[in-house]
Amino acid sequence: MKTLKGAGAAQPLLYDCGFAREIYALEGGAQLKRCMQCGVCAVSCPSRQEMDYTPRRLFSLIRAGRKEEVLDANTIWVCTSCCTCRVRCPRGIDILGLMHELQFYYLRSWFKVHSRASFQQAFWQELRERGRIGEAGVMLRCWLKEGGLTGAVLKSLEMKGTGLRLLRRGRLRLIPPKIEGLTGLNKIIDKALAQQGYAE
Amino acid sequence: MAAKIGVYLCSGCGIGEVLDPAGLLQVAEDDRRVALVRESDFFCGQDAGLIQGDVTDRVVDAVVLAACSPRFYVKVFDYGPGLPVVRVNLREQVAWCHESGSEDTQMLAEDALRMALARAGGSAVPEPFRLENPSRAILVVGGGLAGLTAALEAARAAYRVILVERENSLGGWLRNVYRCAPLRPPYAESAENPFHLLSREVESHPGIVVYRGASIERTAGGPGQFDVTVRQGERLLKERVGSIIVATGAGAYDPAKLTRLKNLAYGTSPNIIVSSKFEELALRGGGRVARPSDGREVRRAAFIQCAGSRDPEHLPYCSAACCVETLKQAQYLLEPDPDCTVFIYYRDLRANGQYEHFYKKVQEEGAVFIQGEVVHVADRGGSLSVEADDLSLGCRSRVEGLDLVVLATGMIPDVAGGGPEQGALKLDYRQGPELPALKYGFPDSHFICFPYETRRTGIYAAGSVREPMDLVTTLEDAAGAALKAIQCVEMTARGQAVHPRALDVSYPEFNMSRCTQCKRCTEECPFGAINEDAGSNPLPQITRCRRCGTCLGACPERIVSFKDYSVALISSMIKAIEVPDGDEEKLRVLVFACENDAYPALDLAGAAGLKYNAWVRIIPLRCLGSLNPVWIADAMSRGIDGVLLMGCRQGEDYQCHFINGSELARTRIMNVSETLDRMGLEAGRIKMVEVEIIDYTKIPAILDGFADELAALGPNPLKGF
Repeated sequence: MKTLKGAGAAQPLLYDCGFAREIYALEGGAQLKRCMQCGVCAVSCPSRQEMDYTPRRLFSLIRAGRKEEVLDANTIWVCTSCCTCRVRCPRGIDILGLMHELQFYYLRSWFKVHSRASFQQAFWQELRERGRIGEAGVMLRCWLKEGGLTGAVLKSLEMKGTGLRLLRRGRLRLIPPKIEGLTGLNKIIDKALAQQGYAE
Repeated sequence: MAAKIGVYLCSGCGIGEVLDPAGLLQVAEDDRRVALVRESDFFCGQDAGLIQGDVTDRVVDAVVLAACSPRFYVKVFDYGPGLPVVRVNLREQVAWCHESGSEDTQMLAEDALRMALARAGGSAVPEPFRLENPSRAILVVGGGLAGLTAALEAARAAYRVILVERENSLGGWLRNVYRCAPLRPPYAESAENPFHLLSREVESHPGIVVYRGASIERTAGGPGQFDVTVRQGERLLKERVGSIIVATGAGAYDPAKLTRLKNLAYGTSPNIIVSSKFEELALRGGGRVARPSDGREVRRAAFIQCAGSRDPEHLPYCSAACCVETLKQAQYLLEPDPDCTVFIYYRDLRANGQYEHFYKKVQEEGAVFIQGEVVHVADRGGSLSVEADDLSLGCRSRVEGLDLVVLATGMIPDVAGGGPEQGALKLDYRQGPELPALKYGFPDSHFICFPYETRRTGIYAAGSVREPMDLVTTLEDAAGAALKAIQCVEMTARGQAVHPRALDVSYPEFNMSRCTQCKRCTEECPFGAINEDAGSNPLPQITRCRRCGTCLGACPERIVSFKDYSVALISSMIKAIEVPDGDEEKLRVLVFACENDAYPALDLAGAAGLKYNAWVRIIPLRCLGSLNPVWIADAMSRGIDGVLLMGCRQGEDYQCHFINGSELARTRIMNVSETLDRMGLEAGRIKMVEVEIIDYTKIPAILDGFADELAALGPNPLKGF
């Protein structure tokens, strides 16, 4: 878990409600106002160990207006959409939906090349090009995004052992076949995105 | 005194399998007061008519029923006020918790029957104490929300109500309030201040007499006959009422004391105000709140909760209503202008009960809630800032550019807070003019089990005078207290006791010719029911009495007795116990168990099938406070090996229905240990334990442990004398 930038320092964090207002304006974002910081989401989250901030802390940072901390944190990308937090939230906040909204918000307004979103983008690229997910493809794309060619080569060498074992057991195909009707699938995805207002 | 006792031996529910009926039959036949004996295994069902028949035919004038605990089938075995029914608890306290067919179990059952026969033979039928002309009017002191509601509730039930308000207009605290927190479901919208409507209704109600600008000069008498002197200006008015509702409310914590809380900077800026001041600003501005320093509209504000509350240096308790009040005040700012920014600093947001919905609503309206301790508030040229140890962020945080900081202060009861209401009733009681306080100056007697009850019978506290409370709770409280007051006047008129021995018609009688004016009864009565005359003689006020018998236990001369509960009666029960010789190695342990908690715990132990020794002989007492030390001396001189007192928890979170029964009993056994010394007996033969009803699993350990201690001491040397 990450400690807050400036925490414990002489300068206290200054509340700035501008960022929170931006988030409240997102679809379903106003629900966040209802958060009473009980922390049930944080203790329910199976990925909390991997997160820079638990959902509860993320929401308190949003409220305090710490845009940078919120968007640079891995929290929204580590979320596995398991829905436990949403089921347990005593205020009935759709935390899962909010995580997705924050992902889109990130892609729209905080996107950087070596970004937190590289895995998510690699995943979608693979899906759109092949119609299915191949581990080798997704990882390669992700490493390329994160570290460029050199980075990808180094990372591939590092993961060589795992890759070879998977290959030997027939668990990994280097170039998996594309599905039939890939164009149709892409049309479906485009339409869904357009309906949600996220046309690419 | 009963001369024709009918003994009914039940063998149902497993009693017949454990006990030999012939032995019990013999005990009954040996008593010459017994007119007839009947046996059955189903007196509570198909054979219920047998007892009823004997009673109707006047064959018996008292019933001794050897069956289940007196806590069961009370209605089935009730034959009207003139016929005493004594229950022998053979089921829960013999058959279900002792070995079947054993000699000791049989002896226990036979002793229990003998004790019951002694009790039935020695009891007289109580005659209710009736006042000649009992008043059914109800006096309400205080015309705030609680007082107005209680007055209306009582008046709507057709009782004459007299309302006394010290101010010249009704409404109390609400007169200075702009709007109210939600008063009805779904508890999400703030409500219009109801005091105009309420006071108009009260003033126009034909059954309510209102004295404004009035105070109480003196309250004498007791329930059904309170003589109240009301002073209104120069006029003195006499009123006779049956019961009293005290609804004098609470005052706000003195803001001047907040200046000692340096971090809140109260007093350093005109824009740092307390919540009542904020309410005043809103009321004056018709909802628009202007900054006190320059009259500008407030755009950014912070509310700080628990200012001087939950703080050992100030108010150690939570005032229950301030959080909800702050939510409402935040709405004053947010509703007309959603772009307004409101920060609420809190420790724990306590929106009790349904007010959680209101909390959610205000959150949705955009208030920012910050949990943590405020480190300091500062004013820099008219712009305020608040710094806090922010719990949700996990670090120190700061808010700047505030127009206004509002400190939510708690409430103090007017009755004891040193306010003008001190001793609002000016009671003419030997124990003082005020209502005794339970904690923090709030008058109450037992807030868990009996809300509204004060320690003065017939005087009920309602609203925030009793404990800090919000508006919805106050409305409920006022209605509850009104019902209590109605109950009180009705039951007093019938000569019955009020809570907790509701409907009991017995009452203490004092044989004054033997009184030595020692004042113990007048001092110890937990309800101040006994006054004193000029010659220090006790003047019992029966309608104030709750029938606990504390006076009976206190009196060294044994002059106090109830018709069906007296020193002599319990002594005769003790004497009915057959004590075997010392060489038989059969211990005898007398247990005095409080009827309210310990006795049910013993029953529960039986119901749970827990086993304990069969040496114990249990006598239920109305309250352990009614324990007269003479009984211990009686038991000891009879050769009983030890006496165990089972009372309720004492101390700050006491459970005694009569306030301090266990404490009184403890003092009395300390005094009695000297007597024991003189008799050459060990102090360890008397022991006191505190038992709650849920402690029933500990019963075997308590009883067997004490029996072991007594066995170690050896038999009572007075056996056989």
